Amino acid sequence: MVAPISSSDPSPGLAADASAVINLIASGQPEQILRSLPHQVLVAREVAEEIEGGRQNGHGNAEALERLIAAGHLTIVELSEQGAAIFEVLTVGDGPSTLDDGEAATIAWAATTGNVAVIDEKKATRICEQEYPSLRLWSTVDLFAHSHVTEAVGPKMLANAVFSALTVGRMRVLPRLQPWVVNLIGPERAALCHSLPTSARAACGAK
Amino acid sequence: MTSILESIPQAEVGERLKVAREAAKITQAQAAEVIGVARTTLVAIEGGQRRVRLQEVQTLARLYGTSVNGLLRQGALKAALAPRFRKLVTGADEDSDSAAHLLANLVEAEAELENLLGVHRVRNDPPERPILGGNVVVQAEQDALELRQWLGLGNRPVQDMASLLELELGVRVYVRRLRGRVSGLFAYHEQFGACMLFNADHPRERRAFTAAHELGHFVSTRREPEILHLGEAETSREERYANAFARAFLMPPRAVMQKFKEVTAGASKLARRHVIVLAHFFAVSREAMVRRLEEIELVRSGTWDWFVDNGGITNVHVRQVLGDMLADDAEKRDADRPMGVRIMSLAAEAHRRELLSEGQLARLLKLDRVTFRELFDDLEIEGSVANGGPDLFK
Repeated sequence: MVAPISSSDPSPGLAADASAVINLIASGQPEQILRSLPHQVLVAREVAEEIEGGRQNGHGNAEALERLIAAGHLTIVELSEQGAAIFEVLTVGDGPSTLDDGEAATIAWAATTGNVAVIDEKKATRICEQEYPSLRLWSTVDLFAHSHVTEAVGPKMLANAVFSALTVGRMRVLPRLQPWVVNLIGPERAALCHSLPTSARAACGAK
Repeated sequence: MTSILESIPQAEVGERLKVAREAAKITQAQAAEVIGVARTTLVAIEGGQRRVRLQEVQTLARLYGTSVNGLLRQGALKAALAPRFRKLVTGADEDSDSAAHLLANLVEAEAELENLLGVHRVRNDPPERPILGGNVVVQAEQDALELRQWLGLGNRPVQDMASLLELELGVRVYVRRLRGRVSGLFAYHEQFGACMLFNADHPRERRAFTAAHELGHFVSTRREPEILHLGEAETSREERYANAFARAFLMPPRAVMQKFKEVTAGASKLARRHVIVLAHFFAVSREAMVRRLEEIELVRSGTWDWFVDNGGITNVHVRQVLGDMLADDAEKRDADRPMGVRIMSLAAEAHRRELLSEGQLARLLKLDRVTFRELFDDLEIEGSVANGGPDLFK
């Protein structure tokens, strides 16, 4: 079993893209998780705008984001001139080599400030590895798996939070973290998660 | 050093901004105020005379409900189709305007996904038959029967117009819920081919007639886009042609006469059940069926009016006669989904191959991320196929 990134990583800030924010909200316990992380979690303005733009969809993410910002659990950040240059490279170009604004701004901000980008998106991960190899990447599951979070929240509530993120938010889990997730929530619940690939669920006797 | 934004032709950037603004129903004055420029400057930007700054694009994208990437991505076929409908839509007609933008978005999204995936769409444009002088109804009847022959239909009724258009003619067909009195739209584009959008809120038989009407335009007035409304009067030769074409295509005279003879054998009067069975056979509405019977003189003129004055031919009558044979409306069910199955399959494949990110696809299909994920998971692209399914022949 591959252990997730540990809490000894001294990065000051975590830039969460829309996917990470939505997954945290879907967990049902975003405040507890964010509070127990020993890092400040930032959100690029473009990400906030993307989530705000979905206000009419009825998933409640825009309202939840507002509350988290108001309570100080999340902070909005703006791109510097340097960041804007990277943002332009990542958004203006052909389809396969670009990303949508929120994803691009998250990477641009983290790359120019030496912070961590929290993204679940496989294509974005690949672009980062190719173009910005020194940029540190986490996924949402890495946040859940942080040792401070496990200690503060407790394994049972953590399992519920991750299960909720999977079923309500349809959270994506990178292959290296699938064993950890399945181990945490248990095989029966893993079988119910359609956002986990069939191979991970099949090992648990899923249909 | 030229920035990437500067390397895109100004005119193209301007047109994309203009279409996005129109789709969002925002005026030039409003947009200009938001980016802090004079209206004339915004006009110059949209006209390609003044270069726009990235920050201005970002602000406008936010205002228009899209993103910089959504607006400027190369390969995104923005502003290709919507401008063609501009002349048809007056300021007051918001429903037609929305429908035109919906069709444009669907076609542009599908075409971009096809290009990225290397999917080659087969087109089979029918021969053009421009409208000539003389009786348009006679021309339309001839052209409709000629097309039936060309398609190898013989005298058989067409049970599924949308499938025929799509599979036999390579038309891009979409059935979505449209507001107001819009029945259907048609546009022809050199690159995309024929594109049609039908209203899922209309009953199947009406949609079939609208489809046949648009097919008439495809044959006779290909280069003119059109938006068809419910209850629209035939104000031009082109519209008379299209309606006559639709009648002849769906209810070819000899087939109707033959079936009428079979169905009414032994009866001395036309009964509701005859109409119901005939309409069901030709997959048209009861009214269309009776009017066609009148037109080809199988029944007296005024027969439909008689039915209307005498209780009509109701859905209750239909259920009594057809019972279990009532057709299921699969297209309408598909239209109830947030996104059609065909486009979603393309999108899911583009995502699986990491050609477009979740953010890009959600934006392209105008879905929120969770809905996109649900649709993606429903298609079971990952897992069951990617891990250990049998290889397809290539």
